[in-house]
Amino acid sequence: MDAFLAQLPQQIINGLTLGAVYALIALGYSMVYGVLQMLNFAHGDVYMIGAFIGYGVMVALIPEGAPLITPVFIIILMLLVAMLGCGLLGVAIEQFAYRPLRNSPRLAPLISALGVSFFLQNAVQLTLTAEFRNYQTELLIPPGAGFDFGDTRLPMTRALVIVITIILMIVLQYLVRRTKLGKAMRAVAIDREAAAMMGVDVDRVIIATFFIGSALAGAAGVLTGIVFTRVWHFMGFTAGLKGFTAAVVGGIGNIPGAMLGGFLLGMTESFAVGFISPTYRDVIAFVVLVIVLLVRPRGLLGARIPQKV
Amino acid sequence: MSKDKIGKDEWVASYQQRSAGIVGWRGALAGISERLPTWAWFALVIAIGVAIPMLTSNTYIIRVAGNIALMATLAMGLNLVVGYAGLLDLGFVAFYGVGGYVYAYLSSDFSGVHLPTGLTLIIVIGIGLLFGLLLGLPSLRLVGDYLAIVTLGFGQIFVQLMTSMTRVNLPGHERPVNLTGGPNGIVNLDPFSILGFTANTVTDYYYVLLAVMVIILIVGFHLNNSRIGRAWRSLREDELAADAMGMPTRQLKLLAFALGAAIAGLSGALFAAWQGSVFPGNFDIALLINVYAIIVLGGLGSLPGVIVGSVLMIAIPEILRNVELAGQLFYLLIIVTLIATLRPRWQSVALLVSVIVFGLILKPILVALSPASFAALEATSSGFVDTIRNWLAIPIEAKAVGNLAFGALILMILLVTRIKDMRVRFIALIPTLYLLSFVWETRLSQEPSITRLLFVGVLLIVLMIYRPNGLLGERRVEVV
Repeated sequence: MDAFLAQLPQQIINGLTLGAVYALIALGYSMVYGVLQMLNFAHGDVYMIGAFIGYGVMVALIPEGAPLITPVFIIILMLLVAMLGCGLLGVAIEQFAYRPLRNSPRLAPLISALGVSFFLQNAVQLTLTAEFRNYQTELLIPPGAGFDFGDTRLPMTRALVIVITIILMIVLQYLVRRTKLGKAMRAVAIDREAAAMMGVDVDRVIIATFFIGSALAGAAGVLTGIVFTRVWHFMGFTAGLKGFTAAVVGGIGNIPGAMLGGFLLGMTESFAVGFISPTYRDVIAFVVLVIVLLVRPRGLLGARIPQKV
Repeated sequence: MSKDKIGKDEWVASYQQRSAGIVGWRGALAGISERLPTWAWFALVIAIGVAIPMLTSNTYIIRVAGNIALMATLAMGLNLVVGYAGLLDLGFVAFYGVGGYVYAYLSSDFSGVHLPTGLTLIIVIGIGLLFGLLLGLPSLRLVGDYLAIVTLGFGQIFVQLMTSMTRVNLPGHERPVNLTGGPNGIVNLDPFSILGFTANTVTDYYYVLLAVMVIILIVGFHLNNSRIGRAWRSLREDELAADAMGMPTRQLKLLAFALGAAIAGLSGALFAAWQGSVFPGNFDIALLINVYAIIVLGGLGSLPGVIVGSVLMIAIPEILRNVELAGQLFYLLIIVTLIATLRPRWQSVALLVSVIVFGLILKPILVALSPASFAALEATSSGFVDTIRNWLAIPIEAKAVGNLAFGALILMILLVTRIKDMRVRFIALIPTLYLLSFVWETRLSQEPSITRLLFVGVLLIVLMIYRPNGLLGERRVEVV
């Protein structure tokens, strides 16, 4: 029990970091599902592209092992460029792979998304090879930096991830709850046709949703790179699966649900690694998922909408 | 229109009537296929299947054909669940894996058990049914995407457990027991042998796989046309309405899951016997994607679609293995696509000529601008691909430039599809096509394995855009 208590805060920190990344990915899944009722399986690969864009910016700005500008600006620049790039990528994917399928059977966009996912993964493998790339986080954030709370240590990198995630979530909440665009998004999510009849430009809303969701995934990619340093072309697959899981646990289509689901999944995994066994990490995460869904079939915060006939 | 119209409304029927009125050779072909009775189709498939090993002794081709038969069997199982009953099951491959592992346990030195294959297959099917029921139970509570994620979770758990259950503390054993062989799998399985026939060669296995495929297809055909099949379709179209009409929806869902799982288990056992070993990696998500691609390509709920989809998804990547052949096919495909899409037709000829001239002009200019970056011109050339390589201005740094060109190509293609003006598009197509062949020669043909997957991705997207119901799928309107 003592060992458990001693480890607990550290595992919570690990869980929060992991959960932050999952939550950011889950948000994109959930938002797209909200407006289009489709699973964007290529979302994990957008996240992977984000990690690579961040890597590219980092390499460009740290040419000889010495940062050209203040590290803080490099991090901000990495995030902004990756978010912008991924946002545009998301919009392009929507335009070319999903828009023509908007009135098709439900499985068609799913398969098209799988196609996009294949394409992105292999395009990256073709141009950048299958090697692992390493973020040089130590050049941006001194390895020793961090906060100590007794025996527990909150490294700077992890603190940064958690803080940036929380900032992004607050901005998103403001966007969705307080702006006209957010209102339109919520309207489209509730009933696309009715929203269109009320004068909402549905296409614009869908583009905006893809842009925001993909930008969040791009940020998640850069944050992953900063904390876990290793990026490669196949990283989007597992992460996408986890993000999807988190979105479903929270109740897909529900933004606070995606955040909650992400953090919950991160915590579960980190506890599984810390207290049970690292080998069963994914198994435990999925068992928790199955249990949650069996108890609450529409996710934790999912509304019990009566079925439309 | 001999097929029944259950599950289609009048609008669909009229649409099909219109689409049935296709003229020309496509119409003639459609007419022939309409008149041919179903047993004739089965006979045709069997005849082609049986003939393959007689026409060629190339074991590679027979192996690919066997793979197609195996995947068709597996896809038929998935088609029952997703195509007929409309349950989005993403854990399907786990059943395939269960079948494979059960076969491995019951016929190898790993467990020390060597049962006769016939008995093993019966056990495999039984366990498949059982697992299908187990996994089907949550499906009674969950709908749509929630069901998808839970089943996906089961699939992931299966692979994880098979990979990691190498040191399990069991009561009654002092040391941790290796239950699954871990990433190294279970090897040296007994060969498939039933009723005195033992499969030794690739051809033997091919016939076994073909026989099983035909049996499963016949079962699937009769299921689809039975009471149960109709009930499944009603469930797929509208669960609430089916329930209101008195369909036992719970039992129907469980039945679909169980039968699908049993078929998957059977194909998994065959796979294990054929490969002679099982590894967790054999049952991962890549296979799931492949099977889904097969049934969606062929058309959900379509029986011939299963075969067509398997042929396409297995054979095309195999054909692309041969670089020279792949190159010729690649250029042929481009030309055919141009002829098929550009109107008036002379445009495609004009375009090709323009591209060739463009290349001929571009190369001397580039070489003159920076002679250092191009290798000395090869004076002689033979063969189609060499000619093209000579025509292109391929720099010494082919890889790096090719990568950049690949990025530019994607942008150009996306741009071209957005241009509405005919003349502008024609002009934009010239550099796009040049880039396309440049990228093919510098990068794509150099990395065949990656290129294959790239093409699969593009194929899935393009196919879904032009034929969202798959190649042989029924057109139907989604009830909103």
